[in-house]
Amino acid sequence: MKQLLISAIVLVLFSSCQKEKITIGTNVSEIFYLDNAGASMRIDVEGNTLSHTCLLFVHGGPGSGSEFYNTSYISQNIGDKYAVVYWDHRNAGASQGNANGNNLNLPQMTEDLKKVIQLLKSRYGQNSSIFILGHSFGGLLTASFMTTSNYQSLVKGWIFVDGCHNYPLNDTLTREKLLTFGHQQVALNTNTAFWNEIITYCNNHPGNFKLEESLQLNDYGADAETYIPEVKQLAYSDFVKTAIKDDWPISSILCNYLYSADARIIGELAVMQFSTSLYKVTTPTLLLFGKYDFICPQEMGDDIYNRISTTNKRMAISPISGHYMMFQDETFFCNEVNNFIGLYK
Amino acid sequence: MNFKKLYSTTVFILISILCFSQSVDSVHFVSKTSNLKLSYNSSLIYPGVRTGIELPIKTMYITKVKKSGSTKVLAKDQFITANISWYHHPNFHDNIYLTSGWTTRRTKSKGFFTEFSPEIGLSRTFLGGTTYKVDNNGKVTIERLAGYYYAFVSIGGGLGYDFSKTKSKPFMVFSKFNLFAMFPYNSTIYLRPAAEFGLIYTPQHFLVLKVRSRNIKKNI
Repeated sequence: MKQLLISAIVLVLFSSCQKEKITIGTNVSEIFYLDNAGASMRIDVEGNTLSHTCLLFVHGGPGSGSEFYNTSYISQNIGDKYAVVYWDHRNAGASQGNANGNNLNLPQMTEDLKKVIQLLKSRYGQNSSIFILGHSFGGLLTASFMTTSNYQSLVKGWIFVDGCHNYPLNDTLTREKLLTFGHQQVALNTNTAFWNEIITYCNNHPGNFKLEESLQLNDYGADAETYIPEVKQLAYSDFVKTAIKDDWPISSILCNYLYSADARIIGELAVMQFSTSLYKVTTPTLLLFGKYDFICPQEMGDDIYNRISTTNKRMAISPISGHYMMFQDETFFCNEVNNFIGLYK
Repeated sequence: MNFKKLYSTTVFILISILCFSQSVDSVHFVSKTSNLKLSYNSSLIYPGVRTGIELPIKTMYITKVKKSGSTKVLAKDQFITANISWYHHPNFHDNIYLTSGWTTRRTKSKGFFTEFSPEIGLSRTFLGGTTYKVDNNGKVTIERLAGYYYAFVSIGGGLGYDFSKTKSKPFMVFSKFNLFAMFPYNSTIYLRPAAEFGLIYTPQHFLVLKVRSRNIKKNI
């Protein structure tokens, strides 16, 4: 009898933790989960849900998690007007599950994204305006979403920030940009040892890239922007402070990242491209790139801009950012996003 | 030169071993009561509770006799343990885990002790938020008590003080650092550190077990 009573109390306690709570207000912060195909993915909604307009961040990686984007600047400059949604993909961030690695693939993640949007509409109103924002690998995922079936009808706008929609093209453009910039820097006698190493590598690997070459170019791209004085460097201590303040599940983020970074999906993505299906996109689109982004060069944006069918499109380049515009040129990023949402919500 | 060094080192080691003569004086069975354990089980900054039982399985008393005649007694106890633990990580999950393990504890005559314990068990998490399912028609439903079962292993070490040694009080205080792993967690392993601060109580007659006891005398 006693055991039964204790079990009942435990069940009631955990049930109450998972009780549905939907807040419509101007300063909301609520977390819930979507369970789909073996993964429970965390969704964090912050800001103004009264606006019935949601900006859904689709993070990079794969496997890196969404809470990094949840900065106080974005809260104060976008979250004050709209609800900002941070979704952790499967096998990323605070998402949880058992042996679900077989479902870590782009078609499944595209289905996950569709269900996240359906869930947001169910919670905050079927007429809610949803804008998806894909950063880095999130660009590929959103490109997949926008070109699959009629999924784009679920959203009012597509925002593409320092993203990739075509990995082979991306590798080619990264190599070209590293070479061009490298030669300029060597001519200026700036960090010559670093740039010469990159130039040598690029000259020895001219194209038709294997996965290892693709990953190496990505690494060089990440390093390259740290050698550009104009680019604001990321302050990792800020992330640590936020992690503690906001109860980030740090070990989950790390374990998920390490798994995803070495998972089969990485090899699958290396040959993936959506350039040929971009003509299907008729939804308003905003393309944002950093001038010094070597990981996803701005010419990626040109390819999208020239191929999508919508006439409601804009491409803007931040003159002082690399691959992480939302942290490196916050004002530019927030202004562009707010203007775009304001136009098409 | 090298041979000389090797020779002198070997001789030194042999002399050292011979100086520490060791003899098992007696092996017998003694009745020992079990311990109850309660602790604050914090995963860094997140709260939790842990309670369990320690069943004695083996005990050993090592008496070290110095040349001066003074003695030091060191107790080595081994236990089989069963524990239930819980921690709360806001917005992530609550985790209840049942574990069984083996603990070895070395207690000095003044009461200070160190311990080491590997454990295995089963964990059940409860997700830290309402969990939804969306079917292929877009219909949204809530999933009750959403969470996962995981296999659980942990390893921990700590130190404490046994008040029964000097003050004849039937309890000990301890602090311990544990590192545990849950799997399969998203097809990988979830690692998490946990710190424990607690009390071990030894009731007078609680689950009294006959355990093998050895007395060893060492001359230093």
